[in-house]
Amino acid sequence: MATILYHGEPNGPSLAVLAAMAETGADTALGIECRAIDLLKGERHTIPDLVEPLARDMGVEGEGPVLVVEGEALTESVFLAQFFDEVGDGASLQPSDPYAHWEMMMWCRQITERLSPAAALLGNLASSHRHLDALSDDAFAAQVEPIASADLKVRWDLVRDGEADDAQLEDCEAKVMQALERCESKLGDGREWLMGPLTIADFETFAWLVGMEPIVPGAFQGKPATRQWMARVRARPSVVAALARATRGEPERAWAPGPEINRWG
Amino acid sequence: MAEVTLYHWEPNANSGKPMLALMEKGVPFDSHYIDMLNFDQHRPEYLAINPQGTIPAMTHGDKVLVESTAIMEYVNEAFDGPDLMPTDARDRWRVRWWMKFMDQWLAPSFSMIGWSVFIGPVVRQRDPAELEAAIERIPMPERRVSWRKAIYGTFSEAEIAESQRRVALGIGMLEAELGKREWLASDSYSLADINGFNLAYAIPLSQPHLSNDELTPNLLRWLRAIYARKAVKDCWALGRTDMVKRVTILEQERI
Repeated sequence: MATILYHGEPNGPSLAVLAAMAETGADTALGIECRAIDLLKGERHTIPDLVEPLARDMGVEGEGPVLVVEGEALTESVFLAQFFDEVGDGASLQPSDPYAHWEMMMWCRQITERLSPAAALLGNLASSHRHLDALSDDAFAAQVEPIASADLKVRWDLVRDGEADDAQLEDCEAKVMQALERCESKLGDGREWLMGPLTIADFETFAWLVGMEPIVPGAFQGKPATRQWMARVRARPSVVAALARATRGEPERAWAPGPEINRWG
Repeated sequence: MAEVTLYHWEPNANSGKPMLALMEKGVPFDSHYIDMLNFDQHRPEYLAINPQGTIPAMTHGDKVLVESTAIMEYVNEAFDGPDLMPTDARDRWRVRWWMKFMDQWLAPSFSMIGWSVFIGPVVRQRDPAELEAAIERIPMPERRVSWRKAIYGTFSEAEIAESQRRVALGIGMLEAELGKREWLASDSYSLADINGFNLAYAIPLSQPHLSNDELTPNLLRWLRAIYARKAVKDCWALGRTDMVKRVTILEQERI
């Protein structure tokens, strides 16, 4: 059975996973077939031949890429990148030293728990809301009907409603700012990549930050080391190849409902 | 003195995860009990170890590690002993997926219900000024928000109902997954089982209408199999409160 990667436009988790796949050589090692889907049209929820649609939808990440292996839906961009790293024959994107590995995983957790819910909300309000709002009630209901997770459906409703209070927006922008400050501080010693050697953390972080440039431009001001690092990541052949898969202009403005904002506040 | 020191609360939830991982690996450690309900984790002595004021934390030589699941992964990689991650890459993906799902989706719902029903009412009997001072000592602003919600029980009915929905769905998902194989994420005992047991050991007691031998036979089989392990017995013996006694429900032949 073919191993198929269903991915959205190269932004956010789809960008991180496509880059990691090319970087590790997993596409060749596993014979992966890539299929672009329109996440905002709900095409992730009509992927054929899945044994368990529920598993596809219960990932914390929301509308990220899906790797289908023997009918099993593998999700979550950091874990997909680790999977590629562990089956690929390319350069390793995970430190072999346990403490350095812990640092990389902690960094990625900061990105996926703090930056990505904020970035997804800001990105979706800026670009996806208009599209979903233009759908008739019936068309929207038909699109979200196959979603197996009730709380993921709620996140689609929130994007369509397009309502967020000022405090929530400020908090999201603050989280983007904090992520950039962490990058700037990490890169302050002149290192080339966030963890020293190139790792999954570079792709995961870049992929969630790149779409924030047009939305929170002020957060990028006074961050020269981070800007130079972003240029280095963008120039990687793996990222160039991932961005070349875009089916529209400005893929960094392509969003679909992402992780939920922490329910504990 | 052991090379490893673990700062932990009860063998339960986040604290229990690295405790059990260390014991399964056979790694000796100095156990440093932090009384979470007495807010020991926000006192200067502990903040000197972990400035974020979260528990657990572990020191290994001069290294300081935080976040329970990440600590478990470190323990598995840094020390000899049985490998607690499967060798197959897809099985490893499944271990990680389940741990994130439990850590970020299911466990927060359990803990919201736990705080609103059991722990919050007990904590609120303390002197209000003392409680407020304890909250003000919490270093991270978002943790202050979470603790305030927990202590004063300001969850809405809708939030609690949503947590109950998630708990019921999560129990169903665990049951279905454990119907596929012996252990949660692969055919070998792994970090996902250690993580899952810390979350789920008291489910048959706290959610009897959702989990018993009739409704969730695979979940009960799995919990009993983990409870039978020596490392679990040693780990739970480090508990100091009645909370950990809940695990003895797994000694019943029929639940």
